[in-house]
Amino acid sequence: MDTPKKIKVLYIDDEQNNLNGFKATFRFDYVVLIAVNIAQAYEHLKSNPDISVILCDQRMPDKTRVQFFEEMREEYDEPVRMLITGYTDIESVIDAVNRGHIFRYIKKPWTDTDIRSAIEEANKFYLTNSLLVAKNKELQSAYDELGKFAYSVTHDVRGPLLSILGALDLAKNMENGKELREILEMMEDAIHKLDEYIKNTHEYYKLKRGQLEFETIDFNNVLKDMAALFRIAGKMENIRFVSNVVQKDVFLSDEISIKTILNNLLSNAFNYQRKDAADKFVDVNIEVKDNVAIMTVKDNGIGIHESHINNIFTMFYRATSEETGSGLGLYNVKDALNKLSGAIEVTSAVNQGTTFKVIIPGKANGTN
Amino acid sequence: MVPIKKLNFIVIDDSKLDCFIAEKIIKNTGINESIKSFLQATEALDYIKSIPVDDHTRSIILVDIQMPVMNGFEFVEAFEKLPPDITKNYTIFIISSSINENDLSRVHNYATVKQFLNKPLTSNNLSVLLAS
Repeated sequence: MDTPKKIKVLYIDDEQNNLNGFKATFRFDYVVLIAVNIAQAYEHLKSNPDISVILCDQRMPDKTRVQFFEEMREEYDEPVRMLITGYTDIESVIDAVNRGHIFRYIKKPWTDTDIRSAIEEANKFYLTNSLLVAKNKELQSAYDELGKFAYSVTHDVRGPLLSILGALDLAKNMENGKELREILEMMEDAIHKLDEYIKNTHEYYKLKRGQLEFETIDFNNVLKDMAALFRIAGKMENIRFVSNVVQKDVFLSDEISIKTILNNLLSNAFNYQRKDAADKFVDVNIEVKDNVAIMTVKDNGIGIHESHINNIFTMFYRATSEETGSGLGLYNVKDALNKLSGAIEVTSAVNQGTTFKVIIPGKANGTN
Repeated sequence: MVPIKKLNFIVIDDSKLDCFIAEKIIKNTGINESIKSFLQATEALDYIKSIPVDDHTRSIILVDIQMPVMNGFEFVEAFEKLPPDITKNYTIFIISSSINENDLSRVHNYATVKQFLNKPLTSNNLSVLLAS
């Protein structure tokens, strides 16, 4: 069990004696940072983004505390602010509350218990607030993605449907059997495209909502399941498929994420081939060493132009109109890698091919 | 009777099927002098630039909105930068599956775009647009 993290407190006072006294009293319970002026206080705030409580005593020589809190709020809104004062002048209290948004007002002379209970309360408030901020961020990003989804649905779902509708209308008046077959095949492609989009969407939600489940990964097995499918596709398109796995150690990771990554990289490698090339190939290499898995997927297909390479992991971005892409595949790869704290590198040259290198750290043994 | 003047058509759509449908429907009307279709808007733009100025007879462009690399709006913007003695010969129709209000209203920003059409293209709505 980890001991709970100590609360980080910043105490500001223009008298060095007070600072020393405060630190001596509370240093065992809290991480205490002290500042004798506002410039020092800002330095602490800059290098300690996890300060949760700020206490400020008396008048500061360079600025009033209310002014200081007011300005500080613009840049560092999260720490909870408290004032310690001997003055009982109501105007300054009102000012501090209204403009400085202070959480507590502690009257002098204070006791250790006063300060302690104020800090504990302030920290609770801080934690609740930070949680809210984090949740809000999550919500905003989910909302942004929903917006993108709503827009893409009109194109990626409605598009193929309307194509099929148009083709049906045309086919009704067609008498030539060869022409009819041609249009039927195109309708089939459109349906595959639609299906692809739906499958990718499903995958996206499975990844997004699913918890990671760590288990022992046998890369030979993972690849065997997948390779069977790709081998058939490879034979039909005349693509040489070579796979190689070197794994001696146990590797703990989430199998769904690993499969998502491999599946997307492999299907890209198979799909984005140069149709008329003589020696088409896809190579996959997986090596597990020192609890790190390195997977490399290499092809000699159409490649990715320099100007697109920075965007390929963006949701719904498509760098080519060749083949049926949903613009979700590599986004899902990136998403899975983020969850596993992995990384991906890509090197590519147009008409020469693309290599993706994925690095995934295994979950450390014994921890849970 | 004055014979109906024939027109050139350029279809730009990243869906092969939609290009195919448009070609067939246009051919069925019999009004076409020529039809060219492009899966990439950049290629269509290169083609328009490559034709000698004198050969730009009346042409109609049907262009989709959502396409990879260069989308329909980017195409129209690039097209509008071409010399006026080229652009004056073209009429652009945007044809899309989009039901997004921003897309629909954005169409009015472009002088060279005559109208927004909903997919799918049918012989009916093609003859309506040609009559206008």
